Amino acid sequence: MTRLGLRARVTAGFAIGALLLAASMALFSYDLTRRSLLEERERTAVRAAYFDAAVVRSGLDTDAPNVVEVLRSLDTGSSRRPLLHRDGRWYGRTAETDASPVPDALQRLVRGGEAGVQRITVAGQPTLLVGVPLSDTTSYYELTSLREVAQTLQVLALTLTAVAIMTAGSGAALGWYATRHSVRPLTAVADAAERIAAGDYTTRLDTTTDPDLTRLSTSFNRMVDELVERIERDRRFAADVSHELRSPLQTLAAAASVLTRRSERHDDRTATAARLVAEEVSRFQRLVDDLIELARTEQPAQRELVDVATLARETCRARGLPDGLVSVVAGSTAEWLVDRRRVEQILLNLLDNAIRYGGGPVAVRLSTRPPDTGVLEVDDAGPGVSAADREVIFDRFVRGRAARSRAGTDGTGLGLALVAQHAAAHGGRAGVDDRPGGGARFRVELPEALP
Amino acid sequence: MTAVLVIEDDDRIRLALLLALEEEGYRAYGVATAEEGLRRQRSDPAEYVLIDLMLPGMDGFECIRQLRRDDDVPIVVISARDDTHDIVAALEAGADDYVVKPVAIKELSARLRALRRRGRAGAVSSQVFGDLEVSPEAGEVRHGGQVVPVTRTEFRLLCELAEHAGRVLSRRQLLQRVWGYETGDERLVDVHVGRLRQKIEEDPANPRHLVTLRGLGYKLQR
Repeated sequence: MTRLGLRARVTAGFAIGALLLAASMALFSYDLTRRSLLEERERTAVRAAYFDAAVVRSGLDTDAPNVVEVLRSLDTGSSRRPLLHRDGRWYGRTAETDASPVPDALQRLVRGGEAGVQRITVAGQPTLLVGVPLSDTTSYYELTSLREVAQTLQVLALTLTAVAIMTAGSGAALGWYATRHSVRPLTAVADAAERIAAGDYTTRLDTTTDPDLTRLSTSFNRMVDELVERIERDRRFAADVSHELRSPLQTLAAAASVLTRRSERHDDRTATAARLVAEEVSRFQRLVDDLIELARTEQPAQRELVDVATLARETCRARGLPDGLVSVVAGSTAEWLVDRRRVEQILLNLLDNAIRYGGGPVAVRLSTRPPDTGVLEVDDAGPGVSAADREVIFDRFVRGRAARSRAGTDGTGLGLALVAQHAAAHGGRAGVDDRPGGGARFRVELPEALP
Repeated sequence: MTAVLVIEDDDRIRLALLLALEEEGYRAYGVATAEEGLRRQRSDPAEYVLIDLMLPGMDGFECIRQLRRDDDVPIVVISARDDTHDIVAALEAGADDYVVKPVAIKELSARLRALRRRGRAGAVSSQVFGDLEVSPEAGEVRHGGQVVPVTRTEFRLLCELAEHAGRVLSRRQLLQRVWGYETGDERLVDVHVGRLRQKIEEDPANPRHLVTLRGLGYKLQR
């Protein structure tokens, strides 16, 4: 189960909290209103019942009273209905009064000489029943409909429910809104981290905007400071080491060239040894150059508008290759916003790689991909790169299986790592695939390349 | 035999460079300090100077400036440092080229030969650009009638631009034609153009003849 995000959780918390609060408030006020409404109604009903009972008593205080007439003479309106129990018979306003809805318990109570009030349901309607004893054999009852009160309470309940739901909704909205503000600093931290990952080491958080967040900002900035310092130390170390290696290499290169020039005057063994020295010195030199370049690639790309097609043709010529290899895919532009030096190195290293391990490049293709990515591909006609090697050949000092078995040992093992790093400096990536028809297809993607 | 002066304080590097240059057919001699180099160049001028930047006492930059003051000898910096700052400073001081150690002797030799040329074979005759006159055959540049002292490299750069007067040459093209580089550091071109402007423009900050076309290259015009 995936955990809900912070914002969703806070929002849900706000909504539930608001709902609970609103619901309990609603229940409380409903209960209060209901009770006071009913009590009020009950008081009125009881008073009316006593009044009516007095009227009935005086009406019956004759020799042969007409009970129905007496009951009819009561002014009860539509909401009240009188009932009289006299000598074991029930009387109402109409002659054919049914068996009374009056519960036995209340009848017993009233017959015992005590007045009583009870809430009952008559024909599905909530009704208040008031019983008043008139004499030993006569009890007066009055049924008061509570329909109006019930309707009022129903409307009130509906209203309160609606209010509770709306309150919960507002709570959720408030939570969403509030977290937008509280999450904003996190967004700022995320943005800053992304910029730093992209190589902009000058990025810092503003520590003055919000006192509550000062600690976060300060710690974050200190972390970045230390990170930058470490990177700078590593870079300086690599540069210093390389620099210190260059001076003795110059001596070696010059001395080796003397040996090489004189090799025809040496015997075979000496000449071979001299050739080995010269070759290894030049490999060593390339290695140092590549190491220095790697130490430098930590810096962000310095983009400018570059005609990459022309650059690719020049690079091909520099490697003694026909510039007809270079093609720009129809509908694409080859004018890209890229770091010229890095793209030149990407091209040189991919061409060298194709020459060394791929039997020479057969095509250099430039295209673009929406929204703004420049794609650079170099095809070769070699054995291709096995699926297992496709990731690792871009690591430092790794050569593909095929390359190893073919003993292409004059490479530095850093060329493709440099390609990958130069691509990364542009926020892009380098990869390799099979070329349709055999061979490898190296592809470098450079985002945000279109002006 | 062509003489090369090597100013390099590291004994082993100096010795190896001398051996290798002699093997390439140069007459090479070396000194360990800038002061000695200046003395040597005054008493027995060489056709090329190879100089390291980090020297005890006077540093390479100052040595280049002093050498340049009264000589158009091609100066090639040979340094283990490749910071942009150092490269630009050395070129601005007056160096013609900058190579980073270690450099193959064959390549160094090719660099030196490219720098030695003055003008071009079959160069066009004198061209006038307002108050500026470029005479490839005479090997002269005149500004307002006065001969302007330019180095060989500056002169070749100017001739190349004059030959294509009114047209834009990219930095890459200039690098190829003037220095013989297929690929290389385009700052070489920029710094040399800057130095030329100091000599042939009334207001080097707002050049009239040697203009920059942003993103394209340079052009020489009336």
